[in-house]
Amino acid sequence: MKVSKLPKANVNKFLESLQDFGEVIIPKEKQEQPGVYMFDTMTDPSEVAWEYLRTIIPPKKYLTKPKEVIFKFDSQRGFEEVIEDAEQKRVLFGLHPCDIHGIKILDVVFTHQYTDPYYTRRRNNTVIIGLSCIPDEKCFCKSMHTDYTEDGFDLALSDIGDGYLVAIGTSLGDDLVAERADLFTEVEETDRRKYLDFRKKRNQSFKLDLDIDDLPYILDLEQHSPIWDELGKRCLTCGSCSMVCPTCYCFNVYDELNLDARSGRRIKQWDACLFKDYALVAGGHNFREDRAERVKNRYYHKQFRMVEQYGKPSCVGCGRCINACPAGIDVVEVLTKVREGSYAETESS
Amino acid sequence: MSKPKVGIFGLTSCAGDQLVILNCEDQLMELANAVDIRDWEMAKSQNDEECPLDIALVEGSVAQVRDIETVKKIRERSKILVALGTCAVWGGIPAMKNDVPREVMLEEVYGNDVRFIESKAAQPLSSFVKVDFNLPGCPIEKEEFLQMMASFLHGDIPEILNFSVCSECKMKENVCQIVYKNQVCCGPLTRAGCGARCPSHNVPCTGCHGPIEEVHYDSHIKMFQLKGIKPEEIVHKMQVYAAPAWMPEKLMEEMQHEGE
Ligand code: SF4
Ligand code: SF4
Ligand code: SF4
Repeated sequence: MKVSKLPKANVNKFLESLQDFGEVIIPKEKQEQPGVYMFDTMTDPSEVAWEYLRTIIPPKKYLTKPKEVIFKFDSQRGFEEVIEDAEQKRVLFGLHPCDIHGIKILDVVFTHQYTDPYYTRRRNNTVIIGLSCIPDEKCFCKSMHTDYTEDGFDLALSDIGDGYLVAIGTSLGDDLVAERADLFTEVEETDRRKYLDFRKKRNQSFKLDLDIDDLPYILDLEQHSPIWDELGKRCLTCGSCSMVCPTCYCFNVYDELNLDARSGRRIKQWDACLFKDYALVAGGHNFREDRAERVKNRYYHKQFRMVEQYGKPSCVGCGRCINACPAGIDVVEVLTKVREGSYAETESS
Repeated sequence: MSKPKVGIFGLTSCAGDQLVILNCEDQLMELANAVDIRDWEMAKSQNDEECPLDIALVEGSVAQVRDIETVKKIRERSKILVALGTCAVWGGIPAMKNDVPREVMLEEVYGNDVRFIESKAAQPLSSFVKVDFNLPGCPIEKEEFLQMMASFLHGDIPEILNFSVCSECKMKENVCQIVYKNQVCCGPLTRAGCGARCPSHNVPCTGCHGPIEEVHYDSHIKMFQLKGIKPEEIVHKMQVYAAPAWMPEKLMEEMQHEGE
């Protein structure tokens, strides 16, 4: 992998120059709540929250939209395909390794068997630039083996104090650097050392740990563990955990009609397996009527069936669901207790 | 096909839902062309008060004795009856103080010698007649109303969102009122459709759409109690828009049970 260096003095110029490629999306701090972040369009490089951790919604919102029109129809004129933002070029800047892994999983899901044209079109117009981070007490990417990534990005920046080491992941990334060669410098021996020191410091900063060895096997054995009923009693089925998860990709499809009752739009909207109607089918049968079954499903899909299907769990350890659950349900705590077989209702907050 | 005959009515209410219909400015002409509005006291001076109707849209709760007869009569003449707005669906604000006897309230508000209102404990339409479709909201959402009408015109049963405000709130990327501010937010219990309007303005959800189909009292009580919020506070908030639906007694019972 080719590596270059971007001195911090040039970073704003670099960000501004990316606007030549397209819309630049950066992590910003929410004005109404310090310490809470979201990805948003950059108007000025000074807005970048360099030290941010986990935005409320992951960058998936730019690839699989919360709600989008997928085609328009008219019973007399046929239908017209719509791909929202089809021509919009975007740079997703500042993605941490967990979020890059999240997109790698979405890439597989949306292209594996059937290609989702909406996702793919936007994905092909997207540049991904990673950024290094220091974990907090809710990050467990190290346990999920998603704390580093060798691919899935065009460029990846690692903070080494006076500048960033820039790993070049694709030929597009190489072009982005080559076109702005005056902003970059050679990597020197001291930079290499600083990077190794940074790595060491980062590796030692993880506080949360989840043992995922043979977890699918354990889950298979614990299908009837009382933990699932206990969790069912605590869950509000609000769906927040799914909305904020970088790898929850489920969507619902429905029509919005115009008053002429012959034309309208077909809509694709985020859905969640926690919702009552998720597994409801024609005729009125509901495959997961019970709340506990629905909560359980979220864990089994991520940690069991995804491993069966794609060889990897679909949790990237970002900690968003831990943060977002109003009821204080914590994925690491749950899976640890399943392993220990020690679940009893706990008064966590 | 001839245009469906429509009647729009208000029982005891603020007329806010009917106003939302009038406020559909860009679609009003199209709507007026698509249906035959036969009876609408609020907007028309010439009304046919007897004709059979395909669709009756009824706003307001049954909070006066005469409302009972009115809604029964509307039911008799209509193929489809829609409860329009939270008052009609859940009892709404007029039902907030159903636990106080009406005589006591009447005297407090009007003094002891005014006797012109035959007021009763407010109830939703469904306590008296069969309701074919519920469109909650205080007031109703314009978009949801237009979608409902379009579905009827297409011959479908309209669909209504069956998940809570939280998911719309998350899609808007709001700072959560429960997680970060320890507020009593009714979002997780309340039917979506508003686009999480209140939390988007940094105000906890007040539950104006009424509850989702599946309300989990147990987990909500546990959650709020863990946050140190008093049961009375939760009940007080939930009672504002949909008191009969929240079943406050049951709620209180659960809370005492959980608190043990
Ligand atoms: S399950 Fe939770 S921790 Fe894992 S990727 Fe999804 S939001 Fe992040
Ligand atoms: S965020 Fe928590 S309460 Fe809401 S659906 Fe997920 S686990 Fe249940
Ligand atoms: S602010 Fe309220 S509606 Fe929004 S996610 Fe939090 S609990 Fe749900």
